[in-house]
Amino acid sequence: MRDDVSIEVKNVSKSFRVFVDRGNTLKERVLFSKRRKYEHRQVLKDISFTVRRGEAIGLIGHNGCGKSTTLKLLTKIIYPDSGSIQIKGRVSSLIELGAGFHPDMSGRENIYINAAIFGLTRKEIDERLEDIIAFSELEDFIDNPVRTYSSGMYMRLAFSVAINVDAEVLLIDEILAVGDANFQIKCFNKLKEIKASGTTIVIVSHSLAQIEQICERSIWIHEGLVRMEGKPWEVHPAYLDYMGKKRQAIAEKDAMRAAAGRDKPRQKGDPSLQQVDEENLKRWGNGKARIVDAWLLNEEGKPQKLFETGKDILLRMKYQVKEPVEDAVFGIGFFQEHGVRCYGTNTRLDGLADFTLTKDGAVEVLLKEVPLLPGLYTVDLTIELADGIPVDYYREVMKIEFFSQDRAIGIAQIKHKWRLDENVEGYEARKGEDAASGKDGQDERV
Amino acid sequence: MTMLREIYQYREMVFSLIKRDLRGRYKGSALGFLWTFLNPLFQLLVYSFVFGTVMGAAYPKYYLYLFVALIPWLFFSTSLVGGAGCIYAQKDMVNKIYFPREVLPLVHVTCQLINMLLSFVVLFAVIVVTRHGVNFLALCYLPIIMLVEYMLALGFTLIVSAVTVFLRDVQYVLNIVVMAWQFLSPVMYGLDRIPQRLQGIFLWNPMAPVLLAYRDILYEKKIPDLSTLTMACVMGIVLLAVGLVVFEKLKKHFSEEL
Repeated sequence: MRDDVSIEVKNVSKSFRVFVDRGNTLKERVLFSKRRKYEHRQVLKDISFTVRRGEAIGLIGHNGCGKSTTLKLLTKIIYPDSGSIQIKGRVSSLIELGAGFHPDMSGRENIYINAAIFGLTRKEIDERLEDIIAFSELEDFIDNPVRTYSSGMYMRLAFSVAINVDAEVLLIDEILAVGDANFQIKCFNKLKEIKASGTTIVIVSHSLAQIEQICERSIWIHEGLVRMEGKPWEVHPAYLDYMGKKRQAIAEKDAMRAAAGRDKPRQKGDPSLQQVDEENLKRWGNGKARIVDAWLLNEEGKPQKLFETGKDILLRMKYQVKEPVEDAVFGIGFFQEHGVRCYGTNTRLDGLADFTLTKDGAVEVLLKEVPLLPGLYTVDLTIELADGIPVDYYREVMKIEFFSQDRAIGIAQIKHKWRLDENVEGYEARKGEDAASGKDGQDERV
Repeated sequence: MTMLREIYQYREMVFSLIKRDLRGRYKGSALGFLWTFLNPLFQLLVYSFVFGTVMGAAYPKYYLYLFVALIPWLFFSTSLVGGAGCIYAQKDMVNKIYFPREVLPLVHVTCQLINMLLSFVVLFAVIVVTRHGVNFLALCYLPIIMLVEYMLALGFTLIVSAVTVFLRDVQYVLNIVVMAWQFLSPVMYGLDRIPQRLQGIFLWNPMAPVLLAYRDILYEKKIPDLSTLTMACVMGIVLLAVGLVVFEKLKKHFSEEL
């Protein structure tokens, strides 16, 4: 295994025996051995992927696709039928929170038990104890028995232990439903911090947004195989698209069944509606409506591609409707090179009601004082349904470039002020300069 | 070997689960930890009344004769009967978290060992009160025989706890087996009650040499037979090895069965 690889999964397959009528007692085993029918269900057929050290990946897929099985294999709770899994370093999992908690023992004692189950030694737990207690925000209750805790407090304590294990590899299954909104944000930030410190993270989640926020890569597992792998914003639209079509197929089948009663031949949809620009994976959607043109306009209403940082930009897009779309949502996104998302929003997030599109039209959005720092950016435009299914998800529709006097680095300009106190050498001299330029010891930059 | 290293790595888990078990056991009961001492004491009273007074005592100081073997036997039998379900009982943990599965039987058996050691406090109190006296040289062999019994108990518990995952009956079958086993072991009687020609077979019971050694040390106040001791040691090591191998084979499929 290469040095910078943290997890290597090679040609792994796994099948389970699924019992039709399962018995685990002697009587059932002996007397009804024929009745104990089972079938082999191949959950994973041939999965291979590697995760580099410090990388965060998300496993996505519909229910029963094998993503949770993959996570269990990584945890070494179950073992593959064939193929190999290699993991470097200590593994911690946010799968079962609060393992081994004893209700009659205090929070502090339970921290020791729970952390020990993750394989920490006493010394390691001692070192982390303060952090764990502080993170859980349970300082005042830490010596009370856990049975007196509310379920939220219980989960907070459990999560604090799991996340402070400092493992090299962190496996997460459907998390961040812990505690109140504040604590969730805290957990999320902690996860980002852990990631920044070089921990490898594997997340299984139905929340694509969470994966997009943390992971560099998504792996879409479909019927026991890796169907697609890549940047989350490349994989997720394709996945949503697939799910949307699947749902549509089910809906059509239902409609057909309903229609069959009336014996009416159903009109086949126009095949052109399904067209997607698949050649470069930059466009997805069911095609009921299409973005046909888009412009970036300056304050005078003139189209241009180059803007000064901090100026208003008017974005206008024209769309064509081929079939009426209900609950449509318009979205925009700005990306830096290498796919770093700088900003993204949509009409739904902004609290605008979902639209019904029946005929061609245009949408405008006025972007005020766009603070993006100099450089080249790309713009995504989307029409989606309220549940995230893409109608027309158009990546990199156009490029936009910014220029500015500001030589700061990063993505966005943050308005700021420096204040120096008189102990800083050169303060007097600066003060003189500032006086000359009409300022008062403060450098203000907008 | 990697397995042993891993168990060592998880030593803190073993310690804290033992602590949790011992501390959690009598939480909420009025007499609390005192039960650890009261239990063997009451058992002793019942047994020595029935088999000493009612049935007629076959040995002098029968209560002591019985007690020195009964306590080690209880350690062994509770290890097995309780230990059979120790993995099944923790199925949530086994299903969700990775840790060396050997930890669970190890914790259970060690807890029983600690209970036995506490019962020995009661035993020595009885020895002192009745002025039975001790042979200090013989006492040196006590830790050895405890270790041997510990290996035996651990070996058996590893096997039954793993098999119980796949076949839940084992738990209930064990109740009967252990009862029969007790009567076939020299708990309430000695080797002298077994006909000469059956003694060979009788000693194949791995618990027989162990219990005889306890009685030699504490009741007869003499150093146990070298042959008895060797036999016990060999059986202890073999059973522990078999237990570990069987457990290792079965543990990979625990999660799928639970």
